Amino acid sequence: MIATIKSATLLGIEGHPVTVEVHIGRGLPAFTVVGLPDAACRESRDRVRAAFASSELEFPKTRVTVNLAPSGVRKIGAGLDLAIAVAILAAQGRIDGRVVEECAFLGELGLDGRVRAIAGVLSLVDALDTPAVAVPLECVNEASLVGRHLVRGVSSLRAAVAAIAGREPWPEPPFVGTAAAARPSVDPAGLIPDLAAVRGQPLGQWAVEVSAAGGHHLLMIGPPGAGKTMLAGCLPGLLPALTRAEALEVTRIHSAGGLALPHGGLVEQPPFRAPHHTASMVSLVGGGTALARPGEISFACHGVLFMDELAEFPPAVLDTLRQPIEEGWIRVSRARHTVTFPADFLLVAAMNPCPCGEGGAFGSCRCSDAVRNRYVRRVSGPLLDRFDLRVVVSRPDASDLLGAEPSEASRIVAARVAAARALAPTRGVCCNADLDADALDRWAVLSSPSRRLIEHRLRAGRLSARGLQRVRRVARTLADLAGDESGVLDERHVAAALELRADTAVLDVAS
Amino acid sequence: MSGAASGRTALPDEAYTVALLTLPGLSPTRLAVLLGQRQAGDDPAVTRPGDPVVPPLFPLDVPKAVGPTRSAAEVWSFVLAGRALQQATAGGPGGRLGRGGRGGRGGPGATRDDDPEVTAARWAAMAARLDVVDLWERYRRLDIVVDLLGTDSYPSQLASDREAPYVLFRRGRQWPLDGHRVAIVGTRRCTPAGREIAREFGQALAAAGVRVVSGLALGIDGAAHQGAMEGGAGRADGAPIGVVAGGFDLPYPARHRTLWRDVVERGVLVSEWPLGTPSEGWRFPARNRIIAGLADAVVVIESQERGGSMITANAALERGVSVLAVPGSIRNPAAAGTNQLLRDGAAPVCGIEDVFDALSLDSPAPPAKGDGRTPPGATAERLLAVMGWEPIRLDVLMAHSTLDPSTIALELAHLELAGWVAERAGYWHRIGPPPR
Repeated sequence: MIATIKSATLLGIEGHPVTVEVHIGRGLPAFTVVGLPDAACRESRDRVRAAFASSELEFPKTRVTVNLAPSGVRKIGAGLDLAIAVAILAAQGRIDGRVVEECAFLGELGLDGRVRAIAGVLSLVDALDTPAVAVPLECVNEASLVGRHLVRGVSSLRAAVAAIAGREPWPEPPFVGTAAAARPSVDPAGLIPDLAAVRGQPLGQWAVEVSAAGGHHLLMIGPPGAGKTMLAGCLPGLLPALTRAEALEVTRIHSAGGLALPHGGLVEQPPFRAPHHTASMVSLVGGGTALARPGEISFACHGVLFMDELAEFPPAVLDTLRQPIEEGWIRVSRARHTVTFPADFLLVAAMNPCPCGEGGAFGSCRCSDAVRNRYVRRVSGPLLDRFDLRVVVSRPDASDLLGAEPSEASRIVAARVAAARALAPTRGVCCNADLDADALDRWAVLSSPSRRLIEHRLRAGRLSARGLQRVRRVARTLADLAGDESGVLDERHVAAALELRADTAVLDVAS
Repeated sequence: MSGAASGRTALPDEAYTVALLTLPGLSPTRLAVLLGQRQAGDDPAVTRPGDPVVPPLFPLDVPKAVGPTRSAAEVWSFVLAGRALQQATAGGPGGRLGRGGRGGRGGPGATRDDDPEVTAARWAAMAARLDVVDLWERYRRLDIVVDLLGTDSYPSQLASDREAPYVLFRRGRQWPLDGHRVAIVGTRRCTPAGREIAREFGQALAAAGVRVVSGLALGIDGAAHQGAMEGGAGRADGAPIGVVAGGFDLPYPARHRTLWRDVVERGVLVSEWPLGTPSEGWRFPARNRIIAGLADAVVVIESQERGGSMITANAALERGVSVLAVPGSIRNPAAAGTNQLLRDGAAPVCGIEDVFDALSLDSPAPPAKGDGRTPPGATAERLLAVMGWEPIRLDVLMAHSTLDPSTIALELAHLELAGWVAERAGYWHRIGPPPR
């Protein structure tokens, strides 16, 4: 009258194996779940009972105790429903215990007995060591990404019983085909704007290209209508597709966060996340009291985090970004648990120079110095300093919008970006933005003319020591884009890197 | 303590003057009345209706007298006794002071403060707590010269001014206000070109022994004095004169702290306010009349249509001081005021020679041919042509030029090193005269 079934639960983005033990004993009819279940998990009693009834299975009329081991790990969500139901059936002796011993079960039950998709299947399956796993039919592709298990799809409790008994085959997942996955397009949904559509923004286009090629965080400052958002939107189309390891990590995060995954289960294109400035701290960096959910910065991992209207974000929220920007991950600590989420994103931010947007332009800005000061102070100096690229963009005039010849298409720029990016691994980093001081001394040596340019800026107080390192990294990327692999930086690239890192005095008022 | 005022220590009368001025609401104008230096009347240049610090306490309709009739020490003893206001009216035009602000003339600033009895009691309480010896020691340590209008030591350049400050504080090495004096004024929100012109003018004037008078504000004022510092290095007759709107111990704006110090080192700071007075907005127009009153000519480099420089220019016109203005583009808001001055008859300044002409001085010999800058190359010339003479953003420059972005960056860097262009607040500007 005892049966055990393997399953798993999610903490943060990590799966933890759980053993579901069911004991059916004598006594008055009762159904209890023990072993640190959360509310959703405890409610599985009602779902399981209803699913039994709808599937024309008899629920035990005696005392049923479900134990979720290990009892120290908090069990979150409804993903254990299927495992509990199967364990009860096994304890009743209705299904063959030897068959289910080899197989772990994941899935939420509907009242009608259907099995619903759950979040984090990739991490959950990865945590299991059984030869086979049964997952909701929609999650079969995702579960198969782990590659160590025999993955079986389950559409309903009744189908599961039939398949375990060998009366029917395991249900086949709907055919998603290789055609979708093999489509050459970077942007199957056609949502990414093309750089060719951006007119009259040579500086912005250049900055976006350099940002993509070197993984340099980019800040665009300019009035509304300058095209900042559109430029940022072009970025995913310029970045190379994710490597297998990156794709698995991104898929794991997205799946754990409950984001819709593409057909085929694997997120292969760099994600693009654009949280609104009203987003709360938890939604941005991750957390939550019981359910440690990754935040937007983790969803943007290996992709682009676009923060429009940067100065409108609460300053406290902005400053939490400083650690992930430096480290590439964020640790979220709560009283009961601490989880670490990867957060290795490319930060692209856009802001107006002042509330009216004109930024003190001679004649057109309506903001007083005090108002402008207050506005730009919302973004702290340390955060501003972390942008390798800072450009000031203006609203293009009508002739640029109408007359200008179309600029380069994303496809062409992406090819240059890919070639430049391919050089970074030869220096032991994944992109030039990660070059440390030693690597810079080897790969970004300043020639004496470039030294002269830099000294001039340093003396004028327009470049800080930290800014200098960032300028060297950007200059390295510019050289890579130009196909110049020499370790000594050409003066041209240093001059360009200096121009691409606008002095924050742009935001300084009345100097 | 009151012991300080009892006469045990031989304090100069100025000590009591500054002690009186530290009392709340005791403006220089009121002090003048108390000293009998003038009779009760309102001074529109120092006070204005609704002014929180100096409400209109005295009637306006009495002509001004020159020269104090009682010593500050004497007034101080009245204040300590709580009889200051009664004494001021004694022998004056009837009991008019007593009605102060309670009559119909109180104006928007009329408050409890206007009640002479309340005020006198407050002053007495404050005065009893004040250590005059200590206060005067501070002024002595800072080498501050205090002068009352009508006394012999008061600078003659201002004594005849129709709105001359009743009290004048001076601090610095070159505290006489003699020699040729030219005011260089302009907007805080200037273009780099304007700043450059102010600096060049300040330099040339100081080098020729002309004293630059300015307000030490951000923008044009500060640049003019910075230039004067460079040009007047090593000579005494071009010592700068800085006229400020607060006490010498509270530099304003804060980022000009070193400039204040340098002016004290090399020239003189002038103010009509005692130590501890913050530079509040309403004090600046009053400060500007002193600039105009001190100058032989006022040169406005850049100004919006309204602003402090226009106030200075008007104050200069009222005093018959010649006003010169540097013309600017009609599309440059920072030149709207100067262009308006030109239209109204100000003398145009197309070069430093025009300033020397206005002073009837000989222009110093122009610098040797060329200005030492490396001439721009062909590509750079093309870029300069696209830039024009208006401030331009880098992205606009890129959009308007056929050169590729990295070439533009390189050329700009070289032009900047050579001194042809400068970048400020996100705009690129051409600076210096065009290449010949």
